[in-house]
Amino acid sequence: MQPGWLARHGLTVPVAILMLVLFLLVPLLPGEYWTQVATEILILGLFAMSFNLLYGYMGQISFGHAAFFGVGAYASAMLFTRLKTAGGEIGMLDFFLSLAAGPPVAAVAALIVGFFCVRLTGIYFAMLSLAFGELLFYIVFSWYSFTKGDDGIQGLLPPSFFQDAVNFYYLTLAIVTLALLAMWRITESPFGYIMRTLRDNQRRAAFLGINVRLHMLINFVIAGSFAGLAGALWGPFSRSVNPGLLGWQESGIAVFMTLIGGAGSIVGPLLGSVIYTMLQAVVKMYTVYWPLTIGTIILLIVLFLPGGVLGLVEKRIKARRSGDGDAGSREA
Amino acid sequence: MDIGPYVLQLFSGLSRAMVLFLLSAGLSLIFGVMNILNFAHATLWLLSGYITFSIFTFLSEQLGASPWLLLPAIVGATALMALIGFALERFLIRRTYERDLPEQLLLTFALVLIIGDLIKLVWGVENRRINLGVQPVEMFDTLINPYHFVIVGSGVAVAAGLWFFLHRTRLGKIVRAAVYNRNMVSALGIPIPLIYGLVFAAGVGLAGLAGGVFLPLLPMALGVDHDVIVQCFAVVVIGGFGSMLGTFVASIIVGVVYAFSILFWPDGALAMIFLIVIVVLIWRPWGLFGTELRF
Repeated sequence: MQPGWLARHGLTVPVAILMLVLFLLVPLLPGEYWTQVATEILILGLFAMSFNLLYGYMGQISFGHAAFFGVGAYASAMLFTRLKTAGGEIGMLDFFLSLAAGPPVAAVAALIVGFFCVRLTGIYFAMLSLAFGELLFYIVFSWYSFTKGDDGIQGLLPPSFFQDAVNFYYLTLAIVTLALLAMWRITESPFGYIMRTLRDNQRRAAFLGINVRLHMLINFVIAGSFAGLAGALWGPFSRSVNPGLLGWQESGIAVFMTLIGGAGSIVGPLLGSVIYTMLQAVVKMYTVYWPLTIGTIILLIVLFLPGGVLGLVEKRIKARRSGDGDAGSREA
Repeated sequence: MDIGPYVLQLFSGLSRAMVLFLLSAGLSLIFGVMNILNFAHATLWLLSGYITFSIFTFLSEQLGASPWLLLPAIVGATALMALIGFALERFLIRRTYERDLPEQLLLTFALVLIIGDLIKLVWGVENRRINLGVQPVEMFDTLINPYHFVIVGSGVAVAAGLWFFLHRTRLGKIVRAAVYNRNMVSALGIPIPLIYGLVFAAGVGLAGLAGGVFLPLLPMALGVDHDVIVQCFAVVVIGGFGSMLGTFVASIIVGVVYAFSILFWPDGALAMIFLIVIVVLIWRPWGLFGTELRF
């Protein structure tokens, strides 16, 4: 490994490969519990990674990103309900069709919301995305005849093959891995570097002839689509959807995971999801005071660990590397 | 036409508006001076409600029940909340001034979870409310709880007091100057860290006051703060960050729109408010009364 390579990609590839190997091995653990936890990690991790396309790469913080997660979940769940037979069974093809409905519908929602949001930046971007997210939440919450309101939609039982936790887990792993590769490809493309430019200096990007709003909008739609994909997986995983999936607390989870894991890398939010979801699974066995626990952990991370876990590890490695090699030159 | 229900909704809307104003004024002031968006503001409001309840119950047991005991309970809770606010600024918020916006948000977000759960730990999951036992009075063909007048009166009094403080006192002028240019204020030899501490304490104190004042009207319940904080954001955005007049007007808009939406579309009342927020942000991102200065 030459130093330049680490400086460019950081720990992304080694961490991604290590996590893939570990994820492949999870079903070997006794009992279904950890397989289910790992499925949740992957789905929420995909949601958090899609959020990070906006935050880590474009430099805008969205507090309404769960809206697209929820819209994807509802689009998929509603098609699911239409396609399933009276006995509650759904065919394999129809099942994949319902999963595929999530991203495009979320993309349309993201196109409409994004059209307005990309006109603003910083705190105003955050506020407008929050307002749109809450608006969509209350529409889903109160439009009973269309969405079943706060009852949610139940009975999203996948085909019998995927009712097995391990099979569903491997399906999720395959989809999330493909999505991760797609997002990695996007962020390493010229488009991805335009995003970084927009994050670092929007005015300069405009001077370079980049259409700022159009590029932000494209990225917003991409991020919304991946969130919709995560939402589509959530329905058959939890067998139900509810309006809470669109609320700002759900958006907050994506923000948490991203900042715990590290926003500087494509796999950072997934690592954050591993830490957050595992911690939740363990802490909830012992105490009902889960918010207090995670709140304290976040507080400590903000105060003592800016840059997240991955950021800390990278900093350590870089410090050691520059210490070993040419002690005179400062690491960039 | 029977105007009774409308008058009732108007008063309930105005009461709601005053509570939103007390909360949003502090939120807006803190954001204006320190650039910190305090997600935990409504959670501190909730905490104050529970504290007021406990002081009120304690005093009632010691001295015998009387509605007037609410007054010392509110004063005590407000003072305590101001102290808590000062401590929070000194030990936590102060460490993040040099950080990025998301990290500051995360810190106050963590406080939402921590304080919310601490309330659950101390007071349990039951709702708390105070019943003052005041008889409703008949007017405009309907029965109105006279306590609405107390809330609206105290809201207007605080608004006037804040205006006087910000425009007619030396400290208030310093605070307003800090909204526009912190470095300049600091360069003039004014201890900015102390100003920050005081502003945060005052903002949290106002939230504390709102919590106590609201208690006899609606029960305090866990999780209410999550709804209230986004409504406060709505108020601050509609009125314009840093503008007191804007916050006051926007509170009334949000409170009254909410109350009347409930008559016509009960579940969609909050959807209406976020629709207004979206329209304002698209049309005038700096709010109805804000200036483009900080945009």
